[in-house]
Amino acid sequence: MEANSAKKRKSVWNTIVAQHELIIMSVPLLLYKILFSYVPIAGWAMAFQDYKPSIRSFWKQKWVGFDNFVNLFTGLNGERFLRDLKNTLGQSFLTLLLGYIGAISLALLLNEVKNTTFKKIVQNITYMPHFLSWVIVTGLVSTMLAIPTSGGIINDVLIRLGLIDEPIMFLSEPKYFWWIVAFSNLWKEMGWNTIIYLAAMTSIDPTLYEAAVIDGANRYQKMWHITLPGIKSTIVVLLIMNIGHLLEAGFEIQYFLGNGLVVEKAEIIDIFVLKYGIQMGNYSLATAAGIFKTFVSIILISIANFIADRLGEEKLI
Amino acid sequence: MGVKKRKKVDIENIIFTTLNTTYLIFLCVVMIYPMLNTLAVSFNEPLDTVRGGIYIWPRKFTLYNYYVVFNMDTIYNAFYISVTKTIVIVVTNLFFTSMLAYTISRKEYIFRKFITTVFVLTMYFNAGLIPNYLLIKKLGLLNTFSVYWIPNIVSAFNLIVMRTYIKTIPESLIESAKIDGAREFHIYWRIVLPLITPCLATIALFVAVGSWNSWFDTFLYNSARQDLSTLQYELQKLLSSTMTAGTRGAPAGINEAGRAGTSGTGSGNVTTPQSIRAAITIFTSVPILLVYPFLQRYFIHGLAIGSVKE
Amino acid sequence: MKRFVSLLLVTLLVLSLTACNTASKQDTAATTPNNQTATENGGTEQKSGLPVLSPDNPVTISVWTMTNYSAPSADNKLSKLLKERLGVTINYEIIPPENADQKIGVLLAGGEYADLMGTTDLNIRLIKGGALIPLDDYLTEDKANLLYEHVKPYWNRLATDAGDGERHIYVLPNYNRYYGEIVGGTHYGASGFWIQKHVLEELGYPSLENMTLERYFQMIEEYMKKYPTIDGMPTIGFELLCAPGREWVLTNPPQYLAGHPNNGGVVVDENNVATIFADKEIAKRYYKFLNQMNAKGLIDKESFTQTNDQYLAKLATGRVLGMYDQRWAFGQAYDSLVAEGKYERTWVPTMPVYEGCTPYYADREVMNINQGYGISVSCKNPDIVVSFLNTMMSEEWQKLFNWGIEGEDYYVDENGRFYRTPEQREQQNDLVWRNKNKLEALYDNMPKIQGTYSDGNADSPGNQPEEFFDSLSDYDKNFLTSYGKKTWREFLNQPPENPIYYPCWNITLPEDAQVVSQQLTDLALQYLPKIIMADPSEFETLWAQYVSEINKVDVKVYEDAINAGIQERIKNWGN
Repeated sequence: MEANSAKKRKSVWNTIVAQHELIIMSVPLLLYKILFSYVPIAGWAMAFQDYKPSIRSFWKQKWVGFDNFVNLFTGLNGERFLRDLKNTLGQSFLTLLLGYIGAISLALLLNEVKNTTFKKIVQNITYMPHFLSWVIVTGLVSTMLAIPTSGGIINDVLIRLGLIDEPIMFLSEPKYFWWIVAFSNLWKEMGWNTIIYLAAMTSIDPTLYEAAVIDGANRYQKMWHITLPGIKSTIVVLLIMNIGHLLEAGFEIQYFLGNGLVVEKAEIIDIFVLKYGIQMGNYSLATAAGIFKTFVSIILISIANFIADRLGEEKLI
Repeated sequence: MGVKKRKKVDIENIIFTTLNTTYLIFLCVVMIYPMLNTLAVSFNEPLDTVRGGIYIWPRKFTLYNYYVVFNMDTIYNAFYISVTKTIVIVVTNLFFTSMLAYTISRKEYIFRKFITTVFVLTMYFNAGLIPNYLLIKKLGLLNTFSVYWIPNIVSAFNLIVMRTYIKTIPESLIESAKIDGAREFHIYWRIVLPLITPCLATIALFVAVGSWNSWFDTFLYNSARQDLSTLQYELQKLLSSTMTAGTRGAPAGINEAGRAGTSGTGSGNVTTPQSIRAAITIFTSVPILLVYPFLQRYFIHGLAIGSVKE
Repeated sequence: MKRFVSLLLVTLLVLSLTACNTASKQDTAATTPNNQTATENGGTEQKSGLPVLSPDNPVTISVWTMTNYSAPSADNKLSKLLKERLGVTINYEIIPPENADQKIGVLLAGGEYADLMGTTDLNIRLIKGGALIPLDDYLTEDKANLLYEHVKPYWNRLATDAGDGERHIYVLPNYNRYYGEIVGGTHYGASGFWIQKHVLEELGYPSLENMTLERYFQMIEEYMKKYPTIDGMPTIGFELLCAPGREWVLTNPPQYLAGHPNNGGVVVDENNVATIFADKEIAKRYYKFLNQMNAKGLIDKESFTQTNDQYLAKLATGRVLGMYDQRWAFGQAYDSLVAEGKYERTWVPTMPVYEGCTPYYADREVMNINQGYGISVSCKNPDIVVSFLNTMMSEEWQKLFNWGIEGEDYYVDENGRFYRTPEQREQQNDLVWRNKNKLEALYDNMPKIQGTYSDGNADSPGNQPEEFFDSLSDYDKNFLTSYGKKTWREFLNQPPENPIYYPCWNITLPEDAQVVSQQLTDLALQYLPKIIMADPSEFETLWAQYVSEINKVDVKVYEDAINAGIQERIKNWGN
C-alpha cells in the first residue's frame, strides 16, 4: 500500500516536472484569479451577519447565523420570494430557448449566403440592437405594444389584418409577460449571439463540404451533417454555461416594463433583492440571495455537465 | 435524368435563396429600426420628441443634442482614456486568455480540470460590491488606470470559448511539434495562436465592447480622478444632469428652488433625458460599431486550418 | 502575428507611462479623524477665528457631491472668480443620484472621503457611519457667523445623534431655509388635480372654489363630449401613472381629498397620531370613484402600463384634460406645449376635497434636514472649508450663484430691482451655457439664501415677481386676469404653518418598518390598478381582497415607527 501511494506520488511529481512549462503558463493566472475572485468571497460572511458598513471591522459585526436565509424563504416575504424564483426561471428559460433557436438558425442561414457583401451587411445590422441600452429598447417595446393611437404598431397591424377587433393590452395581461421578455431579448441579442457561432463555423474544414458535394449531399444534408456537428461543441458548452445562468433573467427589462397589473408574472429575484435589500441598505439579505443563486447555479451546471458527459458531448469542466 | 435532377436542384436552390434572402432582409428591417429610431430622436428637437411619434426621420431637425455632448470639455480626455483602456484590455485579455486556454485544452495536463473548475465557478458568484471594493483598495488600485485592466485579464467565459475552439485543432499538429522538440510556449505562440484567429477576433470584439460600454468600474473606483474618467461615465453623468429630480422616489418631496424647471419660452435650446440619451447612444456606438467590420475579415471560412494543413 | 506583438509592446509602453503618471498624482489624503482643532497652517487668523481665504494662499477643496447637475466646464466664469478672489480651486467628484446608494456603501466601508461631502437624502448614512465631523464648534457668532445665522433658529431640528448618544449638527441644510419674504409665481412642488386651461375657458372660467371630485370630473366629461378629439387624436379625460419612482401618483390623493397635507402613507390626527389610510374609507371612496369614472371611459386605459416617457408624450400632445400630479413631474410636457405655443392646452391645479374638508394641497416647503454639505473626517483642514462655506453664504456670493454677474447676466433698474432681458432669460435654458456660467453642481448642496435678499430682490430670477410676469404669454396673462389672480401659485391654498413634526415621509424608519412600507407600496401597485380598471360590480370584492392583504402586513410596526418619529420630533424640535 505504502509503496503504491509513494509510487503514485512519484508519478504525480514526474508529471509535474514534465509539464512544468504548462504550469508556468497557467498557475500564475490561476493564483491571480483566486486573488481577484475568491479572496473577496470572505465577504460572504455578511450573509451571516447583520452587516453595517459603518462598522469597519468585519469581526465586530453582529453574527446572526442563518437568519438571513431563513428570512428569504419563510420571512415576511417568503411566498413572494418563491413566486419570484419561479418567474426568474420561467423568463430565463423562455429567453434561453428562443435565443438559441434564433441565434443558431440565423448563423446557419447566414452561412448559406454566398454573397459576402450581403452577408456582412446582414451581420452588421443584426448586431446593432445590442448596443442600445435597455431603457431605449424597453421604451420602444412599450410603445410598439401600446394601443394604436399611442403608436402601438403591433395592435395596428393585427387590427388591419382583421385578426382582432379591439387592441390587446399586452402589458396589462400577466400571461403575455414572459413572452414579451423573451422576444425583447431575442430582438436585442440575437445578432450578437450569432457571432460566436459564426466564429465556430470557421473551424470547420472546407474539404468536408467538398467531399459531401461529391457524395451528392444536398444543402440540408450539409447543414445537418457538417455545419451543425462542426459547431456542436460550442453549442453544448454555451448551453451548459447558460443553464448555470438561469437565475439571471435580466433586470432592467422587468424594471422598466413590469407594472402592478402583471407583477405576479413580472417580478424576478433581482428586483426583489433591489427593493428589500440594496435600497434599504440591507446588504446581508442581498448577499444571502446572491449565495443562494450561486448554489443553484452550481447545481444546475453540475447536472448539465453530467448529462453532457453521459451523452458523450463536449463538457464544460 | 441527370439534367432533370440538376434542374430540380437549381429550382430548390432558387427557392431557398429567395426565402433565405427575404427572411434576412426582414430581420434587417426589424433589427435596424431601433438604431434608426435612436438616430432620428437624436436629431430631433427635444421638446418636440416629448410628444412621441418619431419613427425613422426627425420631425424638427436640430443639432442641439450633439452640441451639448460635444461641449462637455471632459469628454475629450475621457474618450482618450476609453480608447486606451479598451486597447489595453483587449491585448492583455487576448494574450493571457489564449495562453491559459491552450494549457487547459491539453488533455494530459494535470491541473486542467482544477483550473477549469476554478475559472468556471467564478462566472456564477459575485462576492459583492463592498468586498470587491475593499480588495481593490487594499491592493492600492483605487484611483489608478490599472484598475481598469488588472482585475480583468482573464475572464472565464472567454476562456471556455477559446478552449472549445482550440480543441478543434487536430492534435496531430501539436504532437508533431512536440516530437520536433518544440517548447509549450512556442507551440502556443507559433502554432496555436495563428490557427485561432477567428476566435481571437470574436473574443477581441466581446472584450472591446464590454470594456467600451462599462462605466461602473469608473464610477466605483475612479470617480475621484477626473483625468481617468471614461467616456461612458462622463456621458452617464451628462444624462443624469438632464433628468428632473424625483428619480429617487421620495414619497412626494421636491425642492422647488433647486429644480426651477425650464421656464419654457419656446426655445429650442432645451434638452430632455430622452434626446440626450439618443445622442449619447449614437455618439458612443459609432466607434465601437466600426470594430466589427474591421474584424470580419478574420471570419473567413476555414482560413486558418485549411492553410496550415498543406 | 507581428502586428500582435507590436500591439503588445505598445500596450506595455502605454501601461508603464500611465503607471508613472499614477504614482505622481496619487492622492495622499491622510485621515485625521475628528480633527477639529487642526489650525496649524491656517493662514492669517481672522478675528472670527477662521482663516481668511485669499488668492495669496491658494487652497484646493475636494467636493464629493450627489447631484443631478453636471460639473462646470474648465472655463467656467464663477470658478475663475473663486480662484481670483479667494484662491479656491474645487475638485469635483459628482455622483449621479441613481447610483449613490452603492457608492456610499463602499465609501463607508473604505473610510476615506473628500473634504466636503454633499448628498441629497442619504446623509444620515454618512452621519451614522462616522464619516462627518460635528460642526457645533464652528457654528458660533464669532466663527462661521453666516452659517450660524443659517442654522440658529433650527438648531434642535438639525442636531442629529450619530450613534454616540449626543446630538450635533453635522450637515448644513441646503434648501428651504427662508430669509425675508417667500415669493415666486410658479410652485413647482405643487400637488393638485390639474385641469386643462381650455376646459375652463370653454366652460366660461367657472369658479374653482370648493372643488369636489364630482365637479372636477363633470367638467372633464362635459368637455370630452363636446370635443371627442383634439388635433385629430382621441381626447383623454384623466391620466394616471404608476411608473417606477412615481407610485405616489396613485397612492397620495386620498389624503389631500380628506383635507390632509402630504405625509406620505399616513394621515395624522389632531392628537398627532399617525395611521395609514390605504385601507380606510377616504381611500376606498377615491378609488371607487375612479372605478366609476373608468367605467364611463374617462380614464386612460393605458394608465398603468405606460412608461413615464409615454405619459409625458400623451400630455405633450395636449389631449389630456386632467391628471393628478406634482408640477415638476410633468415639466417637460408643459414646456413642450409652450414651445408649440399651445398655452391653452397647459394646466392649472384644482383642489378637490370631500365635503366638510379644507384643501391642504399646498404646504409650506420644509427645510431639508440631513441634506446638504457636511465636512468629512478625512478633511485635513476643516477651518478652511468652514471658512469657504461661510464666505459662500454671503449675499454677494449667493447673488453670483443665482443671478450671475451684474451687467452680464442681469441688470439693476433705478429702483434697485434686478431684471433680465429676454436673451438673458433664454440662455438659462441652455445646458452648455449653464456649464460655462453657473456653478450648479457645487451650489446644489450648499446652504442658500432663499426668499429675499436684504435689498428686497428675490433669491433667484425665477422667483422675482416682475420676471415672472414678463415671461408670461398673452394667453396666460388673460387667463390669470379672468380668474383675478396674479400667479399660478394663487390657484392653491395659502399654506398654513406646518406642524412641528411635518412631514412624516422624511422620518427615518428602522429596517423592519421600511420593509413594511415597501410591502404596502407593493400591494398598492398590485391591487389599485386592478381595482380601478375592474367592472364596477367587482369593486367591493377586489377592495375587500386588498384590505385583507393589507391586514396581513404588520402595519403596526410601520405606524409605531412613524409615531415614534413624530413624538421624537415634538420633543426635540421645539426651540
